[in-house]
Amino acid sequence: MFAKTVSRFLVGFSLFFLLTLSACNTQPPSRFEQAQQESIAAGSKNTAVSPNAVKGSSLNQFFPAGGGEYERVFTQEKDGFVQAKLKFQGKDVAILAIFDTISNPDAKKDFQGATEQINGFPLIEKGTNNSAVLVGDRFQVSVRSTDPTFGKEQRRQWLEKFDLAGLSQLK
Amino acid sequence: MTKPIYQLVDELPENNITVMALKTLDNIIPGQWENITNFEEMIRRVTGETDEQMIQKIGERAVWLFNDKTQGYQNALWLYQTVDKADYALGAAALANKIGEKINLFGFLNKITPNNEKAQVIDLVIKIVAELVAFCQINGLPGDSINDFVAALAEYEKESLVRMAALVCFDAIIPFGADFVLTIQSTLAKLSPQELNQNPVFSQVSRFIPGDNPENQLQFITESFEAVKGWMISFVTSNAITRSGIMANLHSFIEFSESQFDYLAAFLDITTNYFEHTGIQSIARSLISRAMFEV
Repeated sequence: MFAKTVSRFLVGFSLFFLLTLSACNTQPPSRFEQAQQESIAAGSKNTAVSPNAVKGSSLNQFFPAGGGEYERVFTQEKDGFVQAKLKFQGKDVAILAIFDTISNPDAKKDFQGATEQINGFPLIEKGTNNSAVLVGDRFQVSVRSTDPTFGKEQRRQWLEKFDLAGLSQLK
Repeated sequence: MTKPIYQLVDELPENNITVMALKTLDNIIPGQWENITNFEEMIRRVTGETDEQMIQKIGERAVWLFNDKTQGYQNALWLYQTVDKADYALGAAALANKIGEKINLFGFLNKITPNNEKAQVIDLVIKIVAELVAFCQINGLPGDSINDFVAALAEYEKESLVRMAALVCFDAIIPFGADFVLTIQSTLAKLSPQELNQNPVFSQVSRFIPGDNPENQLQFITESFEAVKGWMISFVTSNAITRSGIMANLHSFIEFSESQFDYLAAFLDITTNYFEHTGIQSIARSLISRAMFEV
């Protein structure tokens, strides 16, 4: 009984305290607040990345090599994700990436209305200065320009240089 | 529980002693570092994205990635915070009301004790190893890949580059002068695993340092320094960095005399948290750069 009274008091007090605090808080809530709440509710491990995502190291082999005045430098290798930057004459021009959408299947939705293809795989412009193909209904391969001299045509040329057919066989 | 990544970035100070000290390094690495203290602004800068829906998705994906403890970002954050914290809280509080006026070091001489050489060296090499381990946690390389890290140093830019520049200038050149490599090597050669183990920062971060006992960890620390020293020397040489040059830049907001470099080093040690400040920015940049391909 006592415990119940105490807990009621505590809940009441906490609510009062929270309301007072939030009334004083003039900061508008972040536009990412909801994602934070949902993520915390989901837990702290394997919530963003599926334990079934392929090893990052297994994706490296499907990237195009540099060559000529182009240099490819790997920058991130995480579960189900690998990223490299592409330099031309020593200057960053684009970022190349492969993502295993098993960790975020929503990423595949954008390809449903695709009207173009590369080597038989659906191709779309996704966001700003970014071209992507969906390989084997699983791997999103992207090229994002980081320099205005590297345009849409170049992005598509570089997407073709990935070993897309090889990647489509990866389990 | 760790704060959300957007809050960590949004709460970074726009101006304090850390920011003023880092800005003096712009003379050495012009245009490399901008003090971005708004997460949404960072998304726009990193991605070049103008599509609001994409910006929303990228931010949300970054939030989820940061909160997933299997992904290493929180370990990196903890490392960046821990190697900086030892004396910082004390010094920052004492100077909170000093922003905007020129700080006179003479007024602090009785409050500051210069570190002895050994403590200063341990502080520096632990920061180097913390950077190496945090880099591997953020970018997904095995924690003992010294060579991968050294190769990546050549690609360092923006927040990461200014952090390493601050390490070289404030934690190596100011206390030890141009011969910092020799001083660090000879101190490390004399250091025993027991002495290392008694260092409070080491004992906190040791579980992240490869090697299963202080003896092996000391060896890893020594190997890391030996691998990174080439980059440090070339950074100093190619940018013509000198102690007097760094001190001249710091004169823009601190009054001190040229002979007080040991006090200046201790002052910067207790009043700045540049590892944590730029570390949060590096983590956010890396998360966003990944998230933009995962939506």
